[in-house]
Amino acid sequence: MREEISIWFFGGVLFLIYGTIVFVEGLWELSHPLANPPALSNLHAPIWWGGMMGIAGLVYTVKFWPKRHRG
Amino acid sequence: MHSQLLGAAAAYFEGPTRSLAHLNAVDIAVIAIYFGIVIFIGFYLKGSATTSEEFFMAGREMTAWIAGLSFVSANLGSLELMGWAGSAYEYGILATHWYWIGAIPAMLFLGIIMMPFYYISKTHSVPGYLHLRYGDGARALSAVSFAFMTVLMSGINMYSMALVMKVVLGWNLNFSIWVSSITVALYVGLGGLRSAIYNEVLQFLLIWLGAMLVPILGLIEAGGWTNLKHQIGERLGSEYVHLWSTTGHFSDNPMGIHWTGLVFGLALVISCGYWTTDFLVVQRVLSAHNLRSAKMAPLIGAAFKMAVPFIVILPGLLALAVLPYHLVPQNVAVATGQHSYNEVLPLMLVRYCGPGLLGLGVTALIAGFMSGMAGNVSAFSTVWTYDIYGAFLHKNAADKHYVAMGRWCTFIGVLISVGTAYLVQHAASIMDYVQGLFSFFIAPLFGTVILGMMWKRATKAAGFWGLLAGTCTAIGLFLWVHLDPKALRYVALSPDAKGLAEDMYRALWSWLVCVIVTIVVSLATKPKPVSELEGLVYGVVPLPVEHDDHWYQKPIVWAGVIAGLFVILNIIFW
Repeated sequence: MREEISIWFFGGVLFLIYGTIVFVEGLWELSHPLANPPALSNLHAPIWWGGMMGIAGLVYTVKFWPKRHRG
Repeated sequence: MHSQLLGAAAAYFEGPTRSLAHLNAVDIAVIAIYFGIVIFIGFYLKGSATTSEEFFMAGREMTAWIAGLSFVSANLGSLELMGWAGSAYEYGILATHWYWIGAIPAMLFLGIIMMPFYYISKTHSVPGYLHLRYGDGARALSAVSFAFMTVLMSGINMYSMALVMKVVLGWNLNFSIWVSSITVALYVGLGGLRSAIYNEVLQFLLIWLGAMLVPILGLIEAGGWTNLKHQIGERLGSEYVHLWSTTGHFSDNPMGIHWTGLVFGLALVISCGYWTTDFLVVQRVLSAHNLRSAKMAPLIGAAFKMAVPFIVILPGLLALAVLPYHLVPQNVAVATGQHSYNEVLPLMLVRYCGPGLLGLGVTALIAGFMSGMAGNVSAFSTVWTYDIYGAFLHKNAADKHYVAMGRWCTFIGVLISVGTAYLVQHAASIMDYVQGLFSFFIAPLFGTVILGMMWKRATKAAGFWGLLAGTCTAIGLFLWVHLDPKALRYVALSPDAKGLAEDMYRALWSWLVCVIVTIVVSLATKPKPVSELEGLVYGVVPLPVEHDDHWYQKPIVWAGVIAGLFVILNIIFW
């Protein structure tokens, strides 16, 4: 048996999930500031870092989406 | 009775009462998703690992990119990530030498010069190459020493990782050790090398994803690289931010090192030994689907390796400038309750990362640990099955039998590693000794392999005796300095030399002894007929000609680009 799913698809899915989680957490923190914020929290790293991860993940997920069997 | 058992189990996995940071539900979800995907990959690839070629060599179907990323990822264990970040805090930018001159030339050499011989000989392992070139003596010696070294290193990686998780996150030591090692055993045991490689590529991406934010935010806080240099210079001295200019004398730099040790000991012997003969990394490249990919994989690995100081060394340097407290050596930390050098990377993660990002950073550290451990156990199971069990204990068994043995070996290798981790926990000084293991076995092995590949005249007896003499020299020099510390002035050429300098010179002397003994014994014994050396030695048969469509597809062109970048970076940070 040969695998159908590319390693880059797994990477894309992982980036997409993580990017979404971190991005949403960043948005949540805008309205619910942390009691003990980390250094440089004013830069809102989760929003732009999570956003970039999510976009990269989405691109790879779509590009390496597993192909269906034929016949 | 039942409740007593449960109580004992709860106490076994109970965490310490004090920790630096706490993970919330988002962080736990990030870590749990990672474990879920890793195990899924193992089960998914189980059906692709039914023959020995598939289980141990990933079917030799990997592309250059996958083999290259896995090649560099297998080396990025937890000791590598957290240990070298700690070394950067302790010694400054000099720690970068282990990523640049201590890796890049050797990786280029592997890709361009050595890979064709490994690949064309169709060997399954480095001891397997020694078998083809020198016979069973050299193979047995190298296989046994490699198997021993691999599981020990794996255990030490495991312990150092669990210790940091305990101090920083309050995780129970037993919990960290067992959960992570069972996961590794599961996905490597199920999917073999292919599963290890797939996960290593994911782990490599995760390490960058989780760790890169620290240097980015750290540089913003420190006010850029120039300001960071000024701050470190004012606090500790300019020798902490120069790569080469302070290595003219052992006492001029915090590492107690001389440039000759870096160039000849580290770059020529330790680094070449590790990157070209340590089967843990070479196995990844052997899985490539053709010779061109096998040559390109180490070059791709080298390009990424050159960038790793950004996420490992730079956080250590940034900590010197931005952390409001000082870190101390491990033994002092244990006695005083302060944080040790090894904790610098998690400490910086905690400093900059809130919920979600902290989980990602911790996942990166766990991923680093797992990639290192998976590398160790998959290489261990291959060498045990092919070069010890299949070669000496049970020859000519059915292919299925060897696959089953490989799977069992993966679990046994993990168990021995866990045992080593507990051994280290109760005798921390063992850790220092095992650090020296690399130069005991790897340095002389490089002498044996390189002479075998480059010199037709090297004989079977010479391979064995050269390797044995080199290994004994390394162990002898280690014991000499251990029993009489004054001997350091002879071994490392200066009384001002420190531990890392000693490792380099010991490696250099053991390599030289191996080379000299191999040459002398070769000249005194009968050479192998040239017909038996085809595909194993330089100049015996012409290597296959590569047909690249464009000049920019040639591995040698990329090797030149990477070499150029390497020189420029060393000049910039001189």
